[in-house]
Amino acid sequence: MNDFTSALSLSASGMQAQAQRLRYVSENVANADTPGYHRKQAAFEEVVQDAGFSDTETPKAVTLGDVTLDESALPRIFQPGHPMADETGYLDGSNVDLVVEMADAREAQRTYEANLRMFDQARQMSSAVLDLLRR
Amino acid sequence: MEISSSSLASVGYSQARDAVSPSPEGGSGTISDFVQSFTDTVRNGEETAKTAMLGGVEPHALVQALSQSELAVETAVAIRDKVVEAYQEILRMPV
Repeated sequence: MNDFTSALSLSASGMQAQAQRLRYVSENVANADTPGYHRKQAAFEEVVQDAGFSDTETPKAVTLGDVTLDESALPRIFQPGHPMADETGYLDGSNVDLVVEMADAREAQRTYEANLRMFDQARQMSSAVLDLLRR
Repeated sequence: MEISSSSLASVGYSQARDAVSPSPEGGSGTISDFVQSFTDTVRNGEETAKTAMLGGVEPHALVQALSQSELAVETAVAIRDKVVEAYQEILRMPV
């Protein structure tokens, strides 16, 4: 595996991680009005991709770690007719903030584009160096 | 003078003979390694494409595997063209 092909697979891992992040964002947005829903979040982690290199130059791909729930307080919503409301007429809403989710989605998009460009760049560079042989 | 230069040429020739004569272990291992990794890359691309058609693999992995096999095929074709070209160049040499 040379540097170009590992650049390709590292960019692919970045795109994969961003797609997974977008999946959690859309899950949060879809459940923005679900009573008692806690926002899902996941952190990025570095993983060793393949062992074909020496220790110092092992390529580190990115992956999305385990999902955690946002434990911040759920908002209390006054809705007396709701079946889940308690005797005072309040129920737990979800702690999804749509503005935060939109920002997260846009950030995922931008990072995805960056990885896409890197993928294209690596492919163009290796094609260009092979074009030298063809003349 | 002439004798010394011709003996120099023969010494140079005998030294160069070692480099061009085929040997069972020298060089052939690296070429077979290259062919092996080429075959592995192309096979991996085909397997990933097959799995992707069945919905078992992410599109990123498919694009990556296909790009890698594309690059591998491009490399192999470029090297083959170069080797064939060199061979034809030798055949065209007036004897």
